[in-house]
Amino acid sequence: MIRVEDLWRTYEMGGEELHALRAVTEHIRPGEHVAIMGTSGSGKSTLLNLVGCLDRPTRGSYHLDGHEVGSLDPVELSRIRLHRIGFIFQSFHLVPRLDAVANVELPMIFDGVAPGERRKRAMAALEAVGLGRWARHRPAELSGGQKQRVAIARATIMGPGLLLADEPTGNLDTRSGDQVLALLDQLHRDGMTLVVVTHDPNVARRADRVLVLRDGEIVRRVEGASVTDLAALFAEPAGES
Amino acid sequence: MTWADVVRFAAHALSQHRRRSLLSLLGVVIGVVAVISLTALGEGARRYVVDQFASLGSGLLVVMPGKTDTTGFMPGMGGAPNDLTLEDARTLERQLPEVIRVVPITAGGTTLSRLERSRQALIVGTTRDFLRVRELAITRGRFLPAGDFERGAPVVVLGRKLAKELFEEEDPIGQAVRVDDWRMRVIGLLAPRGTQMGMDMDEAAMVPVATGLRMSNRKSLMRVVLQLRPGADMRIVKQKVIDLISDRHGEEDITCISQEAVMNSLSSILQVLTLVVAGIAGISLSVAGIGIMNVMLVSVSERTSEVGLLKALGATRTQILLIFLFEAVLLSATGGAVGLGLGWFLIEVVVAFYPAVPASPPVWAVVAVVGVSLATGTIFGVLPAWRASRLDPVLALAAR
Repeated sequence: MIRVEDLWRTYEMGGEELHALRAVTEHIRPGEHVAIMGTSGSGKSTLLNLVGCLDRPTRGSYHLDGHEVGSLDPVELSRIRLHRIGFIFQSFHLVPRLDAVANVELPMIFDGVAPGERRKRAMAALEAVGLGRWARHRPAELSGGQKQRVAIARATIMGPGLLLADEPTGNLDTRSGDQVLALLDQLHRDGMTLVVVTHDPNVARRADRVLVLRDGEIVRRVEGASVTDLAALFAEPAGES
Repeated sequence: MTWADVVRFAAHALSQHRRRSLLSLLGVVIGVVAVISLTALGEGARRYVVDQFASLGSGLLVVMPGKTDTTGFMPGMGGAPNDLTLEDARTLERQLPEVIRVVPITAGGTTLSRLERSRQALIVGTTRDFLRVRELAITRGRFLPAGDFERGAPVVVLGRKLAKELFEEEDPIGQAVRVDDWRMRVIGLLAPRGTQMGMDMDEAAMVPVATGLRMSNRKSLMRVVLQLRPGADMRIVKQKVIDLISDRHGEEDITCISQEAVMNSLSSILQVLTLVVAGIAGISLSVAGIGIMNVMLVSVSERTSEVGLLKALGATRTQILLIFLFEAVLLSATGGAVGLGLGWFLIEVVVAFYPAVPASPPVWAVVAVVGVSLATGTIFGVLPAWRASRLDPVLALAAR
């Protein structure tokens, strides 16, 4: 699904080179649920943006579904974001002037889906996340958990194979956070490849695999049963600092 | 993304900032109203002038004392010209077969009085053919007698309003009036005609030309109007007139112009004036464009994170560009439509108050103003929209 090799992302800042990512090589299989952990500034969001085709690597290669993404033009990258990738953000990023159903319809507008068809599919997606009753409400009238569920409906409306979530529960209380995570688990069970950036071990624990980034490098990969132990492992330095 | 989607998306975004949208649109409205109403007035003035000349009959040559061609002064100001006399007029009548009517004219202001009533009025000294050349009509009695220019009979023809003021309901025909110190008999009444070339014929009194000259104690006519035989070459006759009079005077000291030439040059002057005014008003439209650009730039920077989101969701640069460009176009188009309506209304109001001025915007101005306001929105909308389309999605998403 995702294969990155020797991926670098370098920023120029005041004449100095800042390496947000250094020689990251990783392979994520279809249907895998991967969590990326790390302190802020470790490069985890940079990695997510590159995987999401929002940014281009300074060096290295990125294959998505076997295609080299680095050689694609902006329009092709837009098509990939539209059809193959869904995004979920910490701050939900709903368009405030549009009601819930119109927000879910947005990607279909860019694909030229007819208005009637759009509305039908968006309503179905909202029903699926349990928000059918809230379709005509604007984001300001929804709770944080409801907003994130609208965002999930929007991220999955085009049927992408890959869902990227950047701190999906970061702005939510535990109860709504759990609802959102349950929804993500459901999607994963249905075959969606899931990459979640988080610094919450309780979120990371649900993943098949956890990548730990520090200073732009993957410093640890935790898999299988040991993922559960990770909570303890990470609770410690987080408490110290 | 279909066009309907682009328009709907843009309209919805604009509707979120009603006051801001309306204010930026107001600039376009004012510009369009200015163009429409000013060109309508200019066009109205031009048509007014053309109508005035059209009421004069065609194929007319006007001879005036004084020369303008070389000195550039108005007739009568280029030194002391020789008089343009009745003999000159008679010579023209005798020697030019192309001329079917020769109408000498004098004009002056005098007091007319009857019993205890008296009134200032325009006195026109002329001949019977004046009626034909000016396309006037008589309602009662008859016009000035035909015959010799030199015979100054003590008779007067009154304009309708003047007659009414002096005689009220009485029949003036055959009655006497005092014109200056002269006692004269009213022989006819003019049909209502209104203002013609600056003379209100309804308030004028017409006397034989010799009488007119004597009353003003002058030798020189104000002008001589020649009506040409249909098909006669205006330029050739004009030259003949100049040659004839120059021969008589020993120098070229008259001005000879054709009615059509005056009308055409006045008409084109007014047309140029209208164009200039339209141009100036058009500039105000481009200023309105800057207002739109400003609002759009603010809008783009406010919605930076929205742009980031739309990109993350799969919108292409072109789609983002179109969304923002259409907001600007929608603003200017709406402003243009409102401005057209308002301008039209204003013109109707003006015409209702001054029916004499046939003000209506020329078609080219309407077409141009619609085109220019759309172009304004497009041109000034491009920069903000281009900016939005070029935003880096990662940075845009992080913006607050």
